[in-house]
Amino acid sequence: MTRTLRNLPGYAFLTVAAVLSLFPLYFMVVSATNTSQDVLGSRLTPGTNLLQNVRDLFATADVRSAMWHSAVNAVATTLVALVVCSIAGYGFEIFHSKGKDRLMGVLLLAMMIPFAATMIPLFQLFADMGLTNSTLAVILPAVSTPFLILLFRQSSRNFPHEILEAARLDGLSELMIFARIYIPTMRSTYAAAATITFMAAWNNFLWPKVILVSPQYQTMPMLISNLTSGYVTNYGVLMLAVLLASLPTVVIFLVLQRSFAEGITGAIK
Amino acid sequence: MNTTKKLIWLAAAAALGLSMTACSSGDSGSGTSGGDTSAAGAATTDAGTTTTTGGDALVVWTWDPAFNIYAMNEAAKVYQADHPDFQLDVQEVAWDDIQTKLTTLAQSKTLSELPDIVLVQNNAFQKNVINYPELFSSFADSGIDFSQYPQAVTDYSVIDGVNWGLPFDNGTAVAAYRTDVLAEAGYTIADFTDITWSQFITLAEDVLAKTGKPLLSGQAGSSDLIMMLLQSAGASLFDADGNPTIAGNETLKKAVALYQELVEKGILVEVNSWDEYIATFVTGQVAGTINGCWILASVQTATDQSGLWDITNLPKMDDVAGATNYSANGGSSWAITSNVSDYALAADFLKSTFAGSTAFYDTILPSSGAIANWLPASKSSVYAEPQAFFGGDAIYAKIVEYAASVPSNNTGAYYYEGRDAVSTAITEIINGADPDTALQTAQETVEFAMG
Repeated sequence: MTRTLRNLPGYAFLTVAAVLSLFPLYFMVVSATNTSQDVLGSRLTPGTNLLQNVRDLFATADVRSAMWHSAVNAVATTLVALVVCSIAGYGFEIFHSKGKDRLMGVLLLAMMIPFAATMIPLFQLFADMGLTNSTLAVILPAVSTPFLILLFRQSSRNFPHEILEAARLDGLSELMIFARIYIPTMRSTYAAAATITFMAAWNNFLWPKVILVSPQYQTMPMLISNLTSGYVTNYGVLMLAVLLASLPTVVIFLVLQRSFAEGITGAIK
Repeated sequence: MNTTKKLIWLAAAAALGLSMTACSSGDSGSGTSGGDTSAAGAATTDAGTTTTTGGDALVVWTWDPAFNIYAMNEAAKVYQADHPDFQLDVQEVAWDDIQTKLTTLAQSKTLSELPDIVLVQNNAFQKNVINYPELFSSFADSGIDFSQYPQAVTDYSVIDGVNWGLPFDNGTAVAAYRTDVLAEAGYTIADFTDITWSQFITLAEDVLAKTGKPLLSGQAGSSDLIMMLLQSAGASLFDADGNPTIAGNETLKKAVALYQELVEKGILVEVNSWDEYIATFVTGQVAGTINGCWILASVQTATDQSGLWDITNLPKMDDVAGATNYSANGGSSWAITSNVSDYALAADFLKSTFAGSTAFYDTILPSSGAIANWLPASKSSVYAEPQAFFGGDAIYAKIVEYAASVPSNNTGAYYYEGRDAVSTAITEIINGADPDTALQTAQETVEFAMG
């Protein structure tokens, strides 16, 4: 009893924090069912305008195309980034040397450079290669990020070197060791990295906006931006679009939630 | 474990497949059509689906499917009547995105990615042409008669006597009020017409006392109203040579003092965001608004208030030489880029529609509320038709009449820097700072930005 009482302030704080965190999500869902005027009036109960909002959204914007382009960009970025960064992280830690440590330091410094500073030279580079308006141009700058390499490198610290030795003695090639032993062992790190990369790629706005010059390749964040660009914004439709754009990241997070927590804390089973 | 293995294989296969897609999607016409995003209610046209720039097809970047995109597609239909092969590819790009793209393309010298025609906000026009003249083609050889536009409107896009933009979206300022609230306090719209700001404050205080409703609202930290006040008196933040004149600018000081008085007396409610600003009049918290006439589209979303609104001109600044009851906020103009595939075609298209077709304006006014800047169109009977939402008043004719009296606004290359600095100053003044000091700081900020 006394313990429960002692914990009461903690529970109260967590309850308030939970409500504050969940309220924007609740408002987003509820607003998707309301009219624009209701949303502006901060109506907090579900309305009956969902179908009309769906009709208006699909009539105003090419949601299917934007969803498709967002999905292609996010999935491709995630898969390629996982392969590239995990190999890099593996190399940095398993084939450890002082020179590689210094290189890692340089890579980490690159994390400090804001994207806006490199955007115009990067655009020029891709334009010179004739890659504007291509999914490849959206994916390439994101396939190798210092953060992901660091994540894999740090997680590889706990990777048991004895297994490596045993595998080498058994005649397994380095590639097979990576594919058959490293990848399955580091499953939770992969899950965490996948969640982070997918979310970043799905929500990526500035670079796709700049490099996808022709709007027919527009992604969901660009579509949402367009919905607010007119003189009149239909807030119900806008909230529905935001809801649709949020769903994939929510699903990915829920599916990989447990592994995500494990991966971030660096657990190896 | 088997499931994991399967998942890995599936992921690998998906990666391969997607990489293929990634490599091939750079080709035009890959099958997934975006681009064609005509508005709900607006007629969908064939224009918007072609992606080639050869032949007669022109690519246009603009925003707002219900307004600019709709108007462009309607213009294409009008032009196609005489030019059956003409094709237009109207692509939806938000204004902020257009600005980002223009800057990126200019700085990376990738002009080949520019469309043929692009819509540019009036307030940003001079900045873009002065900083990146290589992006645009002037209208000098277009054959368009710019004397058929109010000078204040063409001035936004005139640099050194050369026209770089064709005005489209009308930004003439209006004062819109709820007539039912005014009636409750014993007033009519006529009492708010041709008045000064001191008269307005007296009336608005009375309306507030009798009905509990303030007449105005605005976004805190926004200088929209201040800018409209300045333009209504033909004043600006810059002199003719483009030097900032924020410090010691008597008209600006009076405008800031007036704004402060409106806020302190509760006549103008400050809110934190644009959305909240829209909400103040849509939900009936305030009984009026002063802004560019495009705000009327948002006002009309409050369908339950139909018939209860009307518009009139702005109050005039007291004791300021050259003060008028007219001003403007926003608006936009079409620009032909330097990458235009066929200048003569683009110029002829704009000349024959936006600067030459009354029928075109007659079509777009009722369905989108797009009010012409082109004076011959405003003489059409469509403009004189009563509008039920505004109590049967012929508001479009009124707006066109106001437009002719708006003083020119000197924007220059650093207009937005000036606005931002003044916005910061206003916030500080409202919080108790000395106006002279705050405006002096704003002046220094702009001078620093100008280098």
